[in-house]
Amino acid sequence: MSTETKPPEPQAPLPAGQYGQFLSEHGINSERLPDSLGAETIVLAKQDLDSAIKLLRNSSEINLDLLITISGVDMADSIDAVYHLWSYSHKGELVIKVRALKTEIPQDQLPTVPSIARFWPSANWHERETYDLVGIRFTGHPYMRRILNPWDWDGHPLRRDYKQPVDCLNDKNPHSFR
Amino acid sequence: MATEFQDRVDLKTDEMIINMGPQHPATHGVLRLLLNLDGETVKHVEPVLGHLHRAQEWQGQNRTWFQYQALIDRVDYLSGMFTSWAMARACESIDGMVVPPRAEYLRVIVGEMNRITSHLLWLGTYLIDLGAMFGFPFYPFREREKLFDLFEEIAGQRMMYNYIRIGGVLRDPKPQWFDKLSKFLDEFPDRIDEYEAIVTENPIFLNRTKGIGILKQSVAKDYAVTGPCARCSGIPIDLRKDKPYSIYPEIEFESIGYNKDGDTWDRYMARILEMRESIKIIRQCLAKIPEGDIIAKKQAAGMRVKAGEGFAAVESPRGILGCYVISTGTDKPYRFRWRNPSFCNLSVLPELLVGAPIADIMAIFGSIDVILPDVDR
Repeated sequence: MSTETKPPEPQAPLPAGQYGQFLSEHGINSERLPDSLGAETIVLAKQDLDSAIKLLRNSSEINLDLLITISGVDMADSIDAVYHLWSYSHKGELVIKVRALKTEIPQDQLPTVPSIARFWPSANWHERETYDLVGIRFTGHPYMRRILNPWDWDGHPLRRDYKQPVDCLNDKNPHSFR
Repeated sequence: MATEFQDRVDLKTDEMIINMGPQHPATHGVLRLLLNLDGETVKHVEPVLGHLHRAQEWQGQNRTWFQYQALIDRVDYLSGMFTSWAMARACESIDGMVVPPRAEYLRVIVGEMNRITSHLLWLGTYLIDLGAMFGFPFYPFREREKLFDLFEEIAGQRMMYNYIRIGGVLRDPKPQWFDKLSKFLDEFPDRIDEYEAIVTENPIFLNRTKGIGILKQSVAKDYAVTGPCARCSGIPIDLRKDKPYSIYPEIEFESIGYNKDGDTWDRYMARILEMRESIKIIRQCLAKIPEGDIIAKKQAAGMRVKAGEGFAAVESPRGILGCYVISTGTDKPYRFRWRNPSFCNLSVLPELLVGAPIADIMAIFGSIDVILPDVDR
């Protein structure tokens, strides 16, 4: 008797949470991911990011007005910009992910995500840092330059395919100084 | 800036660009400010960061969990306990680990001790920034050394503790250690009175700090300012109260917000009051601390954290210190991201400095208590 193995059932999409529902009431679609440590996590399309963040920040009942951080993550098949939004006045937490699929990024170009620094000053330095370390170009940013690395640095160190520069001081390389 | 003299001789004035730093004794590390000056008034500021960049996030994803634990105290070297604590909280929540109650009490005790040492260093250096030889080698450092001796006994190190580990703490202090700590707590309030007698109502200090560097509430919210700076601008944000972690819900304390104006003097006062509050917290912990284990699972060099991702934060002396961890279940973290309070608080500096005279730059910059290694990582 061979035991029949059933193919795994396709997982039903998670029901929209508080913030996902709020956004869909205003005509913005989002996809919900499993919560990360109790915080609702949603995926937004690039073109919806601006309006969604403005809505979440300014509406009186949601009021996510504390931008904790913007991080860039080099995942297996996409490069994500991750926004952690909190609120100064209540305990709400939301994680927004904006994905740039690697297959859709043109050769030798950086993935682009719209910048929110134009209307939210605290995003300014976070976006510059993400550009510097992960290599996401935030379109519309007022001053898109490297912030932590030198301005003439090659590559983006937190990419998975990043190659370290030849260490000119300590390496046994013929091109090094010693 | 047209003066009577210029009117007479028809002298053209121009804005001047001055480079302040990176090697400047009052920048608490290495910060470069590009200043546009009109006479003595600041017109525009551009902070140039990165001189202390040590690639902490890159090192995180290229080392094992166990190795990286030893490095993270260097993210913010004045409050190493909090950086370890944030990382430990993130990993424990991903792992679903339950920390023994004794370890939680020890964490709060060492955390609040660390908050005191951090504020003491701030007090010393801030007064030096203002030109008072009160601080750096003198009064606050006397008490700071005593706390460092206590840290040395439990962690083996005076500044880079690596004491808070994933799942608990490193070592159980001996009973004598608690006696020494409570003896210190008995004498410390008098020492704070001593600082206050010298500084708080000092007319020179008041002239230098009252009414300058006013941080408005809306500006603070725009720039995601947290910690004592935000609380002084009337934003009641304190993670220990808002999203209580560890054993803070069981402890009675006040979240200090000295929000009269949000100027530099208020930020000074808030830190003094916060040190007094920390004494209260440690006293309650010493009275309540239970016996038991100090770590959930003994760590070995090949330790792993379950696959998952999460963000955990603690209230450090400077604000919300957070850590975003992505683990794929291997022996190395997949991605490590720090949310540093200094980085966010520093970004508000151009707003505060514009319009201030050049002599106030250090008074304002010092009052937001930025640690440059925490900014540059």
